[in-house]
Amino acid sequence: MTSHAIRLTDVCFRWRKEIPPVIEIPRLSIRAGEKVLLRGPSGSGKTTLLNLLGGVTIPERGKIETLDTDWVALSAAQRDRFRADNVGFIFQMFNLIPYLSLVENVLLPCRFSVGRRNAAMRKSPDIAREASRLLTHMQLDVDTLHGRPVNELSTGQQQRVAAARALIGSPSIIIADEPTSALDADARYIFLDLLFREIEQAEATLVFVSHDAALSKLFDRTVELEELNNGVTK
Amino acid sequence: MTPIISLSHRSLLNRRGTVSLTVLAIALSVMMVLGVERLRHDAKASFANTISGTDLIVGARGGTIQLLLYAVFRIGNATNNVSWKSYRDIAARPGVAWTVPLSLGDSHKGFRVMGTTADYFRHYRYGRKQNLAFTAGAPFKNIFDTVLGADAARYLGYKLGDDIVVAHGLGQVGFLRHDDKPFKVTGILKKTGTPVDRTVHVSLAGIEAIHIDWRSGSRIPGMAVDAEALREGSLQPKAITAFLVGTTTRFGAFHLQRAINEYPREPLLATLPGVALQELWDLMGTAETALRAISVFVVVAGLLGMLTMLLSSLNERRREIAILRSVGARPIHVFGLFSLEAGLISLAGALVGLIFLYLGLIIARPIIDAQYGLLLSIGPPSLRDMVLLGLVVSAGILVGMVPAYRAYRHSLADGMIIRL
Repeated sequence: MTSHAIRLTDVCFRWRKEIPPVIEIPRLSIRAGEKVLLRGPSGSGKTTLLNLLGGVTIPERGKIETLDTDWVALSAAQRDRFRADNVGFIFQMFNLIPYLSLVENVLLPCRFSVGRRNAAMRKSPDIAREASRLLTHMQLDVDTLHGRPVNELSTGQQQRVAAARALIGSPSIIIADEPTSALDADARYIFLDLLFREIEQAEATLVFVSHDAALSKLFDRTVELEELNNGVTK
Repeated sequence: MTPIISLSHRSLLNRRGTVSLTVLAIALSVMMVLGVERLRHDAKASFANTISGTDLIVGARGGTIQLLLYAVFRIGNATNNVSWKSYRDIAARPGVAWTVPLSLGDSHKGFRVMGTTADYFRHYRYGRKQNLAFTAGAPFKNIFDTVLGADAARYLGYKLGDDIVVAHGLGQVGFLRHDDKPFKVTGILKKTGTPVDRTVHVSLAGIEAIHIDWRSGSRIPGMAVDAEALREGSLQPKAITAFLVGTTTRFGAFHLQRAINEYPREPLLATLPGVALQELWDLMGTAETALRAISVFVVVAGLLGMLTMLLSSLNERRREIAILRSVGARPIHVFGLFSLEAGLISLAGALVGLIFLYLGLIIARPIIDAQYGLLLSIGPPSLRDMVLLGLVVSAGILVGMVPAYRAYRHSLADGMIIRL
């Protein structure tokens, strides 16, 4: 098992040939189990970097290794499968599919990844109970919330559902894109506290993107995107 | 595709308002297409069933279709008559098995009155060579007896033994009425689904009798013949409108047809009913094609409605697509989800349309029967119906591929991180 969860080597990405690259990162490595804050103001190429880390976009040059697998070397279908098996995502807001129930939303990754489905079943007798277990850990009362449409939940509750979904089936890497920016201070700390506890328990790696420098002290390490990235951004 | 199968119907249920409107639009178009097909099929069948077992229809020279229309469908009028002499002459020829004279021109409360002989009830056949049957009574025996078609009896509410007065000409309410010579209902025919149902049958002598003291369409002043006196005298018609011929052999019909068409003493026209029916049906082919084209366009409109609905929902669903991508759905899953939704909508539309068709048939059947004498069939869907339904669903899936492809493109371009 490698000690590196994510390793970028000499990565360059541009939208079109004739414009300068937006991402130019000579080197970035994140150890397995590490909780890293990627900090940068808006327009610093955060979204592009996340798409690169998740294997959604492919760099013009360089290597992006996740768990020793280079995204660049995989076909589109292989990338989709690898991502489904190994990466959990949490977004800024509106993370949930409105026509699915609380538990169904959490179970979504198990629909598309056999690996995560099997991992979930190793932890609980069945996947629905694993979803409930994670929701309970996220301090959501499944019994009282179950019948309600998910978009009636508070933003804080919705983000915790999204966290439970990212965690189900124990993916090695969790990528969170400003998941706390829509939350007030109290909800933010509750959310982070619960998320960290679960990630530590699962021994997963966390890449957390935010513009909020105040969060730095909570993480193992903070990477300033502006220092890391030599690409030309706005 | 299994991961998205349960997603598609949940997604549709979530948008049940717009989805059910779209289903309704497709259902109505499907009902229309199936309804037009059924109407066309039944009309053609009923049309072809109007007359059978008759080898030739003979009338004064003119158009084949015109002859068929007035002699069989009781539509329009003959321009000329056939003299009684010619009729007797042809009827007496070798190879002629039977003849039935027809005399048209009068009406009773909007129903055509036709003078004929009792042979009509013996030889006239319809459908699959079925004979006319009586629900009550028997063929006419006396001059002022009348036999009513099923519809004529039902709408006018006549029973056996009722007296009716025939009007001269064809108006709904003829003001010249042959009211000095009423007819008595002696028989009511069973329903046939042909123009026979709407006909008032009297004897040829009866037609003669009501016209004996009339000339040029009005009563001759001072000349009134007592109805009782008429029963005594012989009433030989001078002319009839047309006559039906049965020949002893099929070949004999062609031979006789030529002979009649070349009849030296009077310009006559003989036609084979099958040929004339086909000619008439071909004439209506344009209307038939137009009707089909319209119903196809209605289906296209219905499917375009679905396309509009799916495309307009696409933008608000970009986040949904991104979420699905982030939890491991591949672009092909996104494509599948949208195609499946379109497929489900068209399938629901087709099924609801089929239900609408049967509801419509149940409601429209008595009305169409009463208005046009066409009895629509309420059978299970034909193979043709199933093929049409299949085509609609396939077209729906095909149409659904447009938004599905757009969603697929979105899912590739947006990735899973989009900020709206």
